[in-house]
Amino acid sequence: MFDTLDISSSGLTAQRIRLDTIAQNVANMNTTRDANGKPNPYQRRFAVFATGQVDNPDAPGVHVQSIQLDDKSKFRVKYEPDNPDAGPDGNVRLPNVDMAIEMVNALEASRAYEANVTTMEVTKSMISASLRLLA
Amino acid sequence: MFIDNMINQSGAPLLEQVLQFTAARHKLIAENMANIDVPGYLQKDLDIHRFQEMLSSAVENGQTGLAADDFDRITNDVQNPTNSILFHDGNNRSIEQLASDQAKNALMHNLVIELLRDQYQGLNMALAEKVS
Repeated sequence: MFDTLDISSSGLTAQRIRLDTIAQNVANMNTTRDANGKPNPYQRRFAVFATGQVDNPDAPGVHVQSIQLDDKSKFRVKYEPDNPDAGPDGNVRLPNVDMAIEMVNALEASRAYEANVTTMEVTKSMISASLRLLA
Repeated sequence: MFIDNMINQSGAPLLEQVLQFTAARHKLIAENMANIDVPGYLQKDLDIHRFQEMLSSAVENGQTGLAADDFDRITNDVQNPTNSILFHDGNNRSIEQLASDQAKNALMHNLVIELLRDQYQGLNMALAEKVS
């Protein structure tokens, strides 16, 4: 019964990491340069989930297997000839972050987080009910 | 032995089996909930209807619970129910189904705990020779 709490907490951790990557994407929505200051638009990242615990893939639970770069979707392009990062045609390449997608994902992650919290509450109530057998 | 009869002839062994079953099922429900966003994950569940049928036929036959190996078989028989929609990512999640299963399972668990408490309290009362 107690290890059921571990399953729920693995779900909590995974969803929180997913929410972290979403926050990172939204924060870098307009970042046109990389860490070295070179014109290189930010690429959106996403968390890949897999079943099992981090240290033991056969144990029940969930974990984030990797954080991957989204190099499939296209960069947004904006005509801004005055921008120092604009190309010869006057277009600036902006990160491939879509606010709508990020928002929907954030909503989904926070709801899934809540679902795991609820499961934890239920587990706790079941455990404390069992403990009352002793009293 | 007398005390052994007192503890094991009542509904207690039966209730204990129900508790073990609901605990095992709750674990699977928690696992389903944690894996709600994993592509290709299939929901897991135990067959509660079959368990209840087996239990009621055991009671009708005058037994105090399922035989140990029957019980082990049914609590370890993890199934992948296919009655919900399979999404494009290969996961057949149904959060509503999960939530209601979880609530029903936990209520069942807590109800059985109360029944068991009642039984133990009766024993206590008999041992203390007074109404608590």
